[in-house]
Amino acid sequence: MSGEISRLRNIGISAHIDSGKTTLTERILFYCHKIHRMHEVKGKDGIGATMDSMELERERGITISSAATNVSWADHTINIIDTPGHVDFTIEVERSLRVLDGAVLVLCAVGGVQSQTITVDRQLKRYKVPSIAFINKLDRAGADPVKVGNELREKLGRNAVLMQLPIGLEDKHQGIIDLVAMEAVYFEGTQGELIRRRSIPPELMGNAAQARQEMLDAVSTFSDELTEAVLEGRETPELIIKAARSGTIAHELTPVLMGSAYKNKGVQLLLDAIVRFLPDPSEVENTAQDLDHGKKEIVLRSDSNAETVALAFKIEEGPYGQLTYIRVYQGTVRKGAELMNSRTRKILRVGRLVRMHADSMEDIEEAPAGDIAALFGVDCHSGDTFVRPGLNLALSSIHVPEPVISLAISAADKKSADRMGKALRRFSKEDPTFRTSIDSESRQIIIQGMGELHLDVYVERMRREYKVAVNTGKPQVAYRESIALRREFDYTHKKQTGGAGQFGRVIGWIEPSPEKPYEFVDEVRGGRIPKEFIPACDKGFQAALKKGRLIGFPITGVKVILTDGAAHEVDSSELAFQAAAKGAFWQAYAKAKPYVLEPIMKVSVEGPAEFIGNVFASITQRRGIIVSSAEDEQFARVDAEVPLSEMFGYSTVLRSLTQGKAEFTMEFLTYARVPAQIAEELIARYQEKVEKEHTQ
Amino acid sequence: MAIDDLDNRSPLRILESSIHGGLGKGNIGVLASRKGVGKTACLVQLGIDKLFQGKPVIHVSYSSRVDHIINWYEDIYRELARRMNFEPAPDTYGDLVKKRVIMNFNQEGTRTDQVLRSLEAMIEHGRFAAETIIVDGFNFPQSSPDNLTRFKEFAGRLRIELWFSPSLKGPEPLFNERGIPVELLTCLDLIDVLITLRHWNNRVELRLIKDHGYAAASDLRLSLDPTTLLITKP
Repeated sequence: MSGEISRLRNIGISAHIDSGKTTLTERILFYCHKIHRMHEVKGKDGIGATMDSMELERERGITISSAATNVSWADHTINIIDTPGHVDFTIEVERSLRVLDGAVLVLCAVGGVQSQTITVDRQLKRYKVPSIAFINKLDRAGADPVKVGNELREKLGRNAVLMQLPIGLEDKHQGIIDLVAMEAVYFEGTQGELIRRRSIPPELMGNAAQARQEMLDAVSTFSDELTEAVLEGRETPELIIKAARSGTIAHELTPVLMGSAYKNKGVQLLLDAIVRFLPDPSEVENTAQDLDHGKKEIVLRSDSNAETVALAFKIEEGPYGQLTYIRVYQGTVRKGAELMNSRTRKILRVGRLVRMHADSMEDIEEAPAGDIAALFGVDCHSGDTFVRPGLNLALSSIHVPEPVISLAISAADKKSADRMGKALRRFSKEDPTFRTSIDSESRQIIIQGMGELHLDVYVERMRREYKVAVNTGKPQVAYRESIALRREFDYTHKKQTGGAGQFGRVIGWIEPSPEKPYEFVDEVRGGRIPKEFIPACDKGFQAALKKGRLIGFPITGVKVILTDGAAHEVDSSELAFQAAAKGAFWQAYAKAKPYVLEPIMKVSVEGPAEFIGNVFASITQRRGIIVSSAEDEQFARVDAEVPLSEMFGYSTVLRSLTQGKAEFTMEFLTYARVPAQIAEELIARYQEKVEKEHTQ
Repeated sequence: MAIDDLDNRSPLRILESSIHGGLGKGNIGVLASRKGVGKTACLVQLGIDKLFQGKPVIHVSYSSRVDHIINWYEDIYRELARRMNFEPAPDTYGDLVKKRVIMNFNQEGTRTDQVLRSLEAMIEHGRFAAETIIVDGFNFPQSSPDNLTRFKEFAGRLRIELWFSPSLKGPEPLFNERGIPVELLTCLDLIDVLITLRHWNNRVELRLIKDHGYAAASDLRLSLDPTTLLITKP
């Protein structure tokens, strides 16, 4: 690592499933490793010591298996960050995308822009990630990179400009024309590692000249210097690259590269393009929230001497314990130095600090601003922010929404049960919106999360990664109960069953509390309820709130005002007052017009505009309210508010309504009152269940 | 004070009586002015007025982002409440806008056919029984005259009223001697109610230029308050 921030790139490779992302990533690692070694042979010291000769043989088999892999290319360091392919409403995807400074959007030269490409593209745009495109598989039958370039413009609305042309396609694919240098590039040697630059074959010269002119027209809008140079016929590759780079970083240009990773063609030029066009960490603005000043956004400086701010963006469970991947946004993370976790406020000491290469792990002394590294043996959660002790900043929003859906799960056998425990512990660490608990009545394991898909993903991961034979129940919406009216209580708990009796009397009222879930006010005067029993009353009320009597869900939005009561010298106890409070609460609750609340989700559906009517209908049928829609010629987005209970199975429905071309995301918005008719059904069902349990 | 009172005291009742009971289903109303005079503020007030009456509104926009329009509604609502010394319950606004849908179209990318198809989809499939559609930022003087014909046919078929707010961009004079925007002369037949917004004595005056088949009274005696952008009586 050169240590200079301008020579650092943090990139992701985003792709449609069949576009050849894995092969391309392997090729990138392979070529970088080759060059890396060649550099060392030439006498670069230091890092080379960690490599041994065995690794040469393993070169072919390397794959990306870690969250961030560090490679070198042309005197630059590139961190390739794994972008999770699963559902996009979890916090995890957001974090992966936020640590990227740039991305390579991989497309298939035959398939072009497909629905999944659109999804990936939308994520990159949503998180404002500067991108370049790579049209892969030029060797395939039907490959047409020019058509794919047009699709990038028309379907994705990108200002895509071809920086290259193919020399031959399908089985005649031989190389690439570099429109910047105006040269033909061939990839020779057994693995395409020898790059030969020659003059452009005369029969392709006409096309190449025209494509170059188009490229210059597009690129020169980002540089007056280049525009002038073009007019005077003295444009240089440096000027072109500089202009294309500014356009890319401003999200206004997408340079298009091409090749065939499988046939070892074009990958090195893509690496050049990553270095040339994508930003270094200092060229991207990152902000943090100042927790001392009402979460005010402050801009971080990519300065290694500034105060340290880093994000734990991924946690991996390895053979040696927890490996925490961090991105340093400001300052430097040093081995042996102290950091504070701004969520837990705990101070930790940086023990082992490592950098992950494709095939090895390198111990490092420090990770400067902009860099990505991993920490060993640090206890933290994914998304935690590490800062210099004393700073009070957080990179991601610390507010974690309450889970809105739960699912009972059980392991089919003993072995699975052990593995399940391990999996659940890891998942809850990785994702703060994923929670586990044990139901006190049924003794079942309950997992909770932000939506049906969210839980599905984890159940599937338990099956695949942890080989857990898991049974699941039906997903359950996290309803709530609340009250509409103020109602008085006056309740005496009295028991005389030989020995010490129990006595406690509480007087007061309950009322709706729109702001807080629960509030307890003690207005008892003159010791009518002795001071030592007041906390017991509070505890008794809170115990009652845990399970409402309408549908058995927690009660929220209640203020309890305790005004008076009575105690007995001998028979009063904490237990007695707890029982009295509970009794009093139920006495008032029944009369306070209790009602049922349900989680409402903010739902966004995106897909081709032609299906917008189907989308409208699907939302209305689910008791949803359409807030807005936005359309252009091809795509539409519909934003709506829909009760979570109506969203079960929506992905399947949406797929069939839109030929699989639309997708949706949802997140928790608020709790709202369930319409009377539906509430009645819920209540009836619960009462029936309670009665049944009673008779048993 | 209840929403009803707020509604009854609205200056828009003056407008309504001036144009013989309102725009009316199947009809096209136009608020025309130069850019930046206050058309969107007027349209949003027309929209909120309908919402106060419990009538669903579709707000179509071509130029703004959705969040801008949401902000417009909130701002105008707040100003209206302040002017009337009206202390709304916390949920009032939330309940009000449940009857409003914002549909945003990219002007370059979307053709009128697509817009009408989506509007119909909202009303039919989305079961959104709008009586009023507000179309902000659609510059039909600059587009093909067919477009307005299509909108008119649509309004008649679905029994809704449509308000437009074209920006006048032409060279001076913008208005002819009868106060009609020169750019709108060719499509005047399709317009049922035409109101212009013009600077006059440091205020923005609303002038009624066309009123269904009636001779327009011209002076509506309504203007825009320069600070709040609310439609006010003199």
